[in-house]
Amino acid sequence: MADLDLHLEAIAAGDPDAFARWVVGAEPRVRASLSSFAAQVDTEAVVQETLLRMWQVAPRVKTDGKGDSLLRLAIRSARNLAIDHLRRARTRPTEIEAIERREWVDPAPPDPLLRRLIHACLEKLPGKPRAAITARLTASGARPDVVLCDEVGMTLNTFLVNVRRARLAVAKCLEAGGAKLPEVPR
Amino acid sequence: MTDQERLIEQAVMAWRPRGSDGLRGHPAWHDLDADGRRQVYAETVQARAIEAAADPEGLSATGRAVLARIRRA
Repeated sequence: MADLDLHLEAIAAGDPDAFARWVVGAEPRVRASLSSFAAQVDTEAVVQETLLRMWQVAPRVKTDGKGDSLLRLAIRSARNLAIDHLRRARTRPTEIEAIERREWVDPAPPDPLLRRLIHACLEKLPGKPRAAITARLTASGARPDVVLCDEVGMTLNTFLVNVRRARLAVAKCLEAGGAKLPEVPR
Repeated sequence: MTDQERLIEQAVMAWRPRGSDGLRGHPAWHDLDADGRRQVYAETVQARAIEAAADPEGLSATGRAVLARIRRA
């Protein structure tokens, strides 16, 4: 995988587009580093909080020649943040140590076929599932489902049923086209 | 759709409430047991890959949410 430090100078200078390019490569790896925390910590909140912090600290990060300096800091920060959550939830120290010791697998780069097939798979969806998943994709995490379902004229329950149908159908369509979705080792 | 699936589907989305000390867990995530939360993690990994593939810049909903906060600041 390419050294993500290639974006560091521009990020440190305050370029959000460079940070976006860094996030594309960093996010799946930060998330993977939190896999052992998944049953105790909402890792989505930790990933987002970590990425926001990396934007703030990037101007002070020094590269050490080993590559991926900001990514390595992000992984350390994410895991420390997850441990803080465990401590606040009064998790026993022995349990925290056991979670912390579990190793994680760095994810493979995304299958290029996903990008080639995704739009055709989305277009094949029937009306309601397509409307629901499009609302999720367009909202980009900025609005909760209770708002999105209103926007597409569905009850929350119908909206969730349709998002789920859409996600399963898209995954099936991608796999039928030979694309590989990432798998999470159990 | 079971109650468990409904909670999982809500928690898979990237939106998270913001508190005074940063982002908080999704309310639906807190209502899940350990198996349900592991399922959320596994499904989130796949959902983000789909979102990133559909996005012109390759950003998932997580990345888009973070960049929106940065650009708004």
